[in-house]
Amino acid sequence: MALFSSTIDQLHNGLDGAELRQNTTANNIANADTPNYKAKKANFEHMLDDARRQFDAQKTDGRHVDFSEGDREAYTSVDRSRSYNHNGNSVDMDKEMAEMANNQIYQSALVDRMDGQFGNLKTALGGQ
Amino acid sequence: MALFDGMNATASALTAQRLRMDTASGNMANASATRGDMVDGEWEPYRRKMVTMAPQENQPSFASHLENAERENTEGVQVTGIVEDQTPFQTMHQPGHPDADEDGNVQLPNVDPLKEMVDVMGATRSYEANVTVFDAHKAMKMNAMEIGRG
Repeated sequence: MALFSSTIDQLHNGLDGAELRQNTTANNIANADTPNYKAKKANFEHMLDDARRQFDAQKTDGRHVDFSEGDREAYTSVDRSRSYNHNGNSVDMDKEMAEMANNQIYQSALVDRMDGQFGNLKTALGGQ
Repeated sequence: MALFDGMNATASALTAQRLRMDTASGNMANASATRGDMVDGEWEPYRRKMVTMAPQENQPSFASHLENAERENTEGVQVTGIVEDQTPFQTMHQPGHPDADEDGNVQLPNVDPLKEMVDVMGATRSYEANVTVFDAHKAMKMNAMEIGRG
């Protein structure tokens, strides 16, 4: 039996994702005045979705794309279609700031839950 | 070190914005400096300077460019140089001026205070935004330190 439940793994994924998102936002805002810079977006939610990972499907050809997204790590994507600035820059400062505030709350919630998990373990171990 | 990557990215932006501010200050200070450079034994007025920036790549290699096509690989911003504005100098008729030519015209720097003010405002706002990001980053890291304490 595993000592740590899968919840901790999930929270771990979430925290990693929150950090990636924070770094991506930091990079976007750092490059808010850089000509032709295109804003990037952190994608990690697919790692939190267990159900999709267990999607039951058969590959009949080696060239088929994987059905499950679970194996794919967190990644960032670039949206080249938009430009908010005359110099080809696509950083939307309001969006980035809102995203960062969201991410901060999200991360704080995860930390709180993670703390709760360890608290439970501690209680179970009789450590207080 | 991965722990401080985001903070370093923000720090690079703070430095870049500060340089932008300094450059604008220099332009403003020299807005009427008629003796900027000595060219062929003659004084040329001060030329307006501008900061150019580019995203900072981790390793500027072929592989990293390939990787950049999909994955994020930039760590902040870098100043690629300070370029001089090549727009023509302003001329003003001022016969008594020591740098006036035979017709009494003086060449003045191509500095437009209005442009500089816009640049100063932009740099200030960007700097503030990056300070906010830095604070957020710090708060998140400190928050993560609390795991397992309570």
